[in-house]
Amino acid sequence: MKTNKMIAMILAGGRGSRLYDLTKNIAKPAVHFGGKYRIIDFPLSNCANSDISTVGILVQYESILLNSYASRDHHWGLDIKGGGVYVLPPREKDATGLGVYRGTADAITQNIDFLDQEDADYVLILSGDHIYKMNYDKMLKEHIKNNADATIAVFEVPMDEASRFGIMNVDDNDQIIEFEEKPKNPKSNLASMGIYIFSYKTLKKYLKEDEKNNNSDHDFGKDIIPAYLNNGLKLMAYRFEGYWKDVGTIDSLWEANMDLLSDNNKLDLFDNEWKIYTEDIVSLPQFISDDAKVKKSYITQGCVVFGNVTSSVLFTDVEVKQDATVKDSVIMNGSIVEENAVVERCIVAENVTIPRNFKIIAKENEGILLVTQKLINERLGNKK
Amino acid sequence: MKALGIISFENNNCYVSGITDTRPINSVSFLGRYRIIDFMISNFTNSGISNIDVFIKSKPRSVIQHINRTNYNINSKKGNILILYGEQEITNKIYNTDIASYNANMQFIEEANVPYVVIGPSHFIYTIDYNKVLETHRANNNDITLIYHNSENAKEEFIGCDTIEFGKNQRVKNIVDNHGKYKNRAISLESYIMSKSLFIDLCKKANEVSSIFWFKDIIKDSLDELNVYGYQHKGFCACINSINAYYNASMELRNYENAKTLFNKKWPIHTMTNDSCPTLYKNEGSAVGSIIGNGCIIEGQVINSIIGRNVVVKKGAIVKNSIILPSALINKNCYLENVIVDRYAVVTHVKQLKGSKENPIYVKRGDRI
Repeated sequence: MKTNKMIAMILAGGRGSRLYDLTKNIAKPAVHFGGKYRIIDFPLSNCANSDISTVGILVQYESILLNSYASRDHHWGLDIKGGGVYVLPPREKDATGLGVYRGTADAITQNIDFLDQEDADYVLILSGDHIYKMNYDKMLKEHIKNNADATIAVFEVPMDEASRFGIMNVDDNDQIIEFEEKPKNPKSNLASMGIYIFSYKTLKKYLKEDEKNNNSDHDFGKDIIPAYLNNGLKLMAYRFEGYWKDVGTIDSLWEANMDLLSDNNKLDLFDNEWKIYTEDIVSLPQFISDDAKVKKSYITQGCVVFGNVTSSVLFTDVEVKQDATVKDSVIMNGSIVEENAVVERCIVAENVTIPRNFKIIAKENEGILLVTQKLINERLGNKK
Repeated sequence: MKALGIISFENNNCYVSGITDTRPINSVSFLGRYRIIDFMISNFTNSGISNIDVFIKSKPRSVIQHINRTNYNINSKKGNILILYGEQEITNKIYNTDIASYNANMQFIEEANVPYVVIGPSHFIYTIDYNKVLETHRANNNDITLIYHNSENAKEEFIGCDTIEFGKNQRVKNIVDNHGKYKNRAISLESYIMSKSLFIDLCKKANEVSSIFWFKDIIKDSLDELNVYGYQHKGFCACINSINAYYNASMELRNYENAKTLFNKKWPIHTMTNDSCPTLYKNEGSAVGSIIGNGCIIEGQVINSIIGRNVVVKKGAIVKNSIILPSALINKNCYLENVIVDRYAVVTHVKQLKGSKENPIYVKRGDRI
């Protein structure tokens, strides 16, 4: 049955420039994660599991792959009649001409016609680049119970890290009284997760006003939320406990993958009650050869292992050949580690071939190394 | 390819002890990820056959759950995949032949607006491009083209299958049972191409000759009148008609070089996705010489085995030369050698299970031992 009370809008236009070459040609939400997933599988699966039927995806940067990927709504079970996944790029309009999304709020403003057409009562704003499992339906129930104008999901961070986040200061009932973006002296450790539920009628009014404001950045955090607070609207914090990770940098993307190997990993991907869905991959099961040594690793279908794999995550169709060593690394789809090569503390991008006897190691005190074909070719060139 | 694909079922000599008590052979799990039937249906869809009739001898439940258009990449408007079976009660299973089932569902075969029929049995595992077979079939003006495979080990494999005796230019002269007497034999893969009208004629004729005739019997009966020619298949091939054949085929494919003669990136084997996450090897977990499906948690040792989707192998457990079907659990410190554990079974109380390669032990679906 179509349950269209709440429409989810996923902000997926970000470039993710701190992921360097991983997002050179694809948007950050389409970056691979955890062996067989793409990052956007997480919010999409959360929507599907939270009984949301209609999802809009706001795209902008390098979106060809993301568009074709996300529009196959049956992969997440978001394909019932009347619902679906709608990819919403900026478009030419009668009144405004051709434009881009000027900010997170503007992306929604420019699709007010879509929200009107879908007859939304509530709008759920999500970000397309976070790894977590969350029941948005529970959050909506809280929102309705509190009779709130907006509800913002928050998550407790260590106090000494709070200054890196958007921090919500709340009263005893978890009503938000103040919002501070990256405060120097944080008063609380409740960080905004960039997940908002808005009652649509009020939101629409504020978005329309924001659209006319030339001094606005058209951003939820900078403009819309402060405007709500200034006008005394009821904003509630919704506390989330569990695994949540922004995978915005090479280090954090690596960490999030490594978390899957940990014994007390809170992101349980084995949970049948809350599956993370993804595209239907046509690959063989994994082959682990007679000489292979596999230890503490996360390996998916299509992988062929002849060498040694320790504390690593191998994505679809990765090959690790005879006597090659992969340690503390993330090897993305279709990459090949040739005979006797060594990869340590790296993220190897898609379809890269690490040549025979080639060693690429990031030291403990250095950051994680992103290995692309370009990097390998440069290093090979230097040797000559 | 303008053809109706017919997935045929195994004859009554095929019995994979235990495993087929609850399902037909073709829906048994294979290599931890597939069902046996996936290979033949994928051959059809990859060859561009988008109109497929799947014939089931009995117990259709597991096949019905598994088969749909999306899984096999069949066009949702122009393509079709039907599951068909004799709906009338059959008093004795010897009357439950493929011919009986074809005749009972003749309406669907006649309705298909195609010049050719391609028949492929669901209990054989091999890959073949039927476009190439059809090309030869047309070029040589054959009445029937029959696919065969040269076995150099027919004393031990393909027991109970048919062997072909050829006359001039690959014309099929005779078809006889393989009793394992000779080493080198041409094995019939029970897959044929012919015109639809000839197929319908043969079904009717068979019915008139004998009520217990199988399709291969009527072909054998017609060898003098019809031009039946062979088309050789190369690469990995297995007929899953016994527990040994199932076990041996699985074990052979653990070798990646063997597997490469069955699998080909341009020839995907379609199956139903289960949305399992990747497999986690924990600290003490290890695997060698094995094929492993997704969604497993490996804490023990896996040696030379096939591990199905969502299987858990607990600490201290050793699984050797065994086949573990999806969603089974091998508990702490259990030792398994030459064992086939069916779906949802739990091995926990019995700490040691040791079969032989010739006689692997079978643990029933859902059993707790």
